[in-house]
Amino acid sequence: MSTPNMQFSKIRLSRRSFLKASAASAGWLMLPGLGMHPSWAQDIRILRVRDYGDPQSLDPGIASNLYEENVNAAVHNKLIAYKPGTKWAWQLEAAQSIEQTDPTHIKFVLKPGITFTNGFGEMTAEDVKFSYERIIDPELKSPIKGDWATLESVDVTDKYSGVIVLSKPFQALWMTTLPYMGGNIVSKKATLAAGGKFSAMPPCFSGPYVIKEREPKQRTILARNPEWKGEPAGFDEIHIFPIDDEKTAEMGFEAGDLDYTRISMSSYKNLKKKPPENSVVEKYPSLYYVWLGMNMEHPKLSDERVRRAVQYAVDIPSILEAAYDGVADPATGFVPPGLVGHRPDTLVPFKADFAKAKQLLTEAGYPDGIDLDLEVRNKAVYIAAGQVIQAVAAQAGIRMTMNLHDSGSFWSLGDESKGDRWKKLQLVLNRFSSAPDPHYAAQWFTKEQVGVWNWERFKNPEYNQLYEKALAEADKDKRDQMYRRMQELMEASGAYRFITHEAVPVIYTNRIVPALRPDGMPLLRYFTTA
Amino acid sequence: MLFYLLKRIGLAVVIVVVAVVLLYSMIHIVPGDPASVILGPRATPEMKQELYELMGLDRPFVVQVVSFLGKVARGDLGMDFFSQRPVAQIVFKQLDETLVLVLASIGWAMLLGIPLGCYSAVFRNTFSDKLVGFFSIGVIAVPSFVVALYSLLLFAVTLKWLPAIGAGEPGQYLDQLQHLILPAFAIGLGWVGYIARLVRASMLEVLNENHIRRARAFGLPEHMIVFQYALKLAILPTITLLGTGIGRLISSAVFAEIVFARPGIGKLIFDSVVSRNYPLVMGAVLVSTVLFVLSTTISDSVNAMLDPRVRERL
Repeated sequence: MSTPNMQFSKIRLSRRSFLKASAASAGWLMLPGLGMHPSWAQDIRILRVRDYGDPQSLDPGIASNLYEENVNAAVHNKLIAYKPGTKWAWQLEAAQSIEQTDPTHIKFVLKPGITFTNGFGEMTAEDVKFSYERIIDPELKSPIKGDWATLESVDVTDKYSGVIVLSKPFQALWMTTLPYMGGNIVSKKATLAAGGKFSAMPPCFSGPYVIKEREPKQRTILARNPEWKGEPAGFDEIHIFPIDDEKTAEMGFEAGDLDYTRISMSSYKNLKKKPPENSVVEKYPSLYYVWLGMNMEHPKLSDERVRRAVQYAVDIPSILEAAYDGVADPATGFVPPGLVGHRPDTLVPFKADFAKAKQLLTEAGYPDGIDLDLEVRNKAVYIAAGQVIQAVAAQAGIRMTMNLHDSGSFWSLGDESKGDRWKKLQLVLNRFSSAPDPHYAAQWFTKEQVGVWNWERFKNPEYNQLYEKALAEADKDKRDQMYRRMQELMEASGAYRFITHEAVPVIYTNRIVPALRPDGMPLLRYFTTA
Repeated sequence: MLFYLLKRIGLAVVIVVVAVVLLYSMIHIVPGDPASVILGPRATPEMKQELYELMGLDRPFVVQVVSFLGKVARGDLGMDFFSQRPVAQIVFKQLDETLVLVLASIGWAMLLGIPLGCYSAVFRNTFSDKLVGFFSIGVIAVPSFVVALYSLLLFAVTLKWLPAIGAGEPGQYLDQLQHLILPAFAIGLGWVGYIARLVRASMLEVLNENHIRRARAFGLPEHMIVFQYALKLAILPTITLLGTGIGRLISSAVFAEIVFARPGIGKLIFDSVVSRNYPLVMGAVLVSTVLFVLSTTISDSVNAMLDPRVRERL
C-alpha cells in the first residue's frame, strides 16, 4: 500500500525531497532577517530607550509617575531642572535667574524667546503662574498637589518676571518641586483652549523635543522641536518603549534594539564583568527604600519586645546577598547616602542576633517562639528577600508564613478605606520610591498617614513635630539632625527594620552619552551622541 | 443545518453572558484597590473617590453587570478613564496584533505540521516516521515560553539575525514580518507537533478505508489519493482542534508578548488585571471570549456541515 519512496505522477515525494523542501521553507522564513535590519539597525540619529511604564497622562498637572515625567521633562520646560551627574544639584532651564529673597518668596526671571509650538506664542510669567497655581486648584484634583502644599500664589511682575509666594517656608521646593513633576510649565492659552486639562496628547510643547507619535503600550516617539532655540536636541528622534520586565529589556539591548535601559540587579555583576560589545555598564545608588514593617496595633505585635525581636531576627547581609546579588547596600533609614538626613548607622546591627531575639521573645511571653504572617509582593526580588527573612527568622523561633500578592492586592493591604484587611496585617515587606529631599519620604509616616500609607500605624508626636519643623528649617545641618532623629524614632518603635535602598544598574551603548540623575534615572532631553 | 446553526449561536450567546457574569464576580471578589495601584501614593481620597465613581464601582454589583451588558449590546465597551480613550479602541488595536501573531503561528504550524503528518502516515513505521514522531513529541513537550526565550537568545541576542522586542514600524511590512518571526515560531512550534501527530493518526485511519483502497485499485495517482481524498477527511479533527485551540493560542501569546515586549490582547489583559483596570479587563476578556466562542462555533459548524451525525448530537 505505501512504499518508502512513493512515485507520484506530478510530485516526486521522497525523504530527501521532503527535507529539501522543508529547508527551503525555513530559509524563506528567515530570509527577511538576514542582513536587512531596517528598524533595529543602529541609527545614531534615533535614540531608543526603555522605560518601565507606558505614560497614561501627559498633562504635567495630572501625571504622577516617573515614566510620565521622563516624557514631560523632554517636551516641556521648568524654571530649574536636575543637573545630570553624580551629585544632586539643579541648573537653570527656562529661568534666566531665580533666587530666594526670603523664606517665603522666590523671585524668577524667564529667558526670553522660549516659544510654545502650534502658534501658542512665547512663554511668559503668566504661564508660570497658571502652571503652578492650577496644581493647587482643588478643581484639577492634582496628584502632585502636595508638592506645592505651601504655595500661596505666583505674582506676575512683568512679561518675564514673577515671584513665587509661599504661605510658609518649604525647603523641599528646590529639590522635589521646582526641578521635578510640579515644575513643568504649560501654556495657559493652550491648556485653557483644551478645556483646562489634557490627557493623551499635550496641545503644545516648549522643550527641545515634541511628541511625534503615541502608540499606547507600544512606544512613544519624540522628535526635535523645530521651534526650539536652546541647546540643540541630541537626536532627531527618541523612541521610548514601555517594557516592564528588565530581563526582556536586557535581551532587547543585547540584540541591538535599545541604546539605553535599566537592567536587573541580578544581571549587573555578569554584565559588568563581560559587557556586550560597544556597551557600558554602570551602577547608581537608588532613592527607593525597602523595609520590613510591623503593624503596631496587631495583638501579636503590640508588645514592643516582639517587634524588636523581629528586628534582631532579620539578617540584612543575607537578604542583600540572596535577593540583590550583593549589588545593593544596607539602608539605615528612608534617606539614602548623599542626601540631607542620611543616618550613618542603625540602632539594631545589620547582622541578625538570634540570642537577643530569643531573649526578647521570652520576655514578651513567647518562650516557644511565635507564628507571624509576612505579606510580600509577587516579584522575584521580594519573594527571594521574603524567603531569606522567613528562613533566618525561624532560627530565632519566629515562624513566618509568607503570603504573596499581586500589586493590585498588595497596595491596599493597610488601607483602612478598603475594609478590615489592615487589622489582620502583621508583617509586610514594603518598598517606596522617593525624591532627593528627605521630606518626600518622611511624609508617609506621620500620624495623619495611619491607615493610608503608614501601615505600621506608627504614631509619634515627636516625629510629627520634627516633620513640620524640618519643612521650614533653612539650616542644612539642623535639617539633617531632624531627619536623622525621625528615622531613629521609627526604628526605636520596633516597627521598622530598614533593609536596603537597592541600586540602579544601567547599560548603554558607547555611541551615546547618557544624561542621568544621581539615582540613574534618565534625563532624556540631555542625552547626546558620543 | 439551519436549526443546528441557530442552536449553536444561542448557546454561544449564553456562554458569553455567563462568562461575563463570572468574570465580573471574580474581579470583585479578588482583593485590591485600583485607585491605590493606578494613582499611587500621591492620590488624595477625593481622587480615589472620583476614580471609583468613574469606574462605576460605587454602584451595586448587579447594577454594574446589567449596565455593562446593556452597553455591550449597544456596542459600547466603556471608557478607559486614564487614557481617556474608548476601551473598544484600545482592545481592537491590541487584538489586531494578537490575531496577526496567532494566525502567523498557526499558519506556519499548519504549513509544516500537515505535510509532516501526511509524510509520516504515508511512510509509516520507517525511520523518517519515527524521526518525525520524536520531533513532534519533543516540540509538544517544550513550553512555548521556553522556546521563546531560547529562540530570542539564539536568533536575536547571539546571531542578531532578528529583532528581539516590539512589533515593528507601523506601515513597514517587512519590518513587521521580521518582528513576527520569533514570536510566531515560539508559539507555533508546539502546534507543529500536535498537528503532525493528529494528521498522521487520522490519515492512517482514512488510508485504510474502502474508498481509498478502491481509488488505488482504479489506478489514481498517489498524490491525488493522499491530498484530494484522504486528507480531506483526515483534516476534520485538526479543524476541531484549531477551533478550540484559539483559547490556548491566546494564552501562549501572553508569554510571547511579554518575552518579546509586543503589544497584544494577552498582555493587555495581564497588565489590566494587575493594575485592576476593570473597564479594560472586562472589555478585553469579553472580546477574547467572543473570539473563542466564535472560533469553536465555526469549527463545530464546519464539522457539522461535513458530518451530519454531529448535528444530531447537539
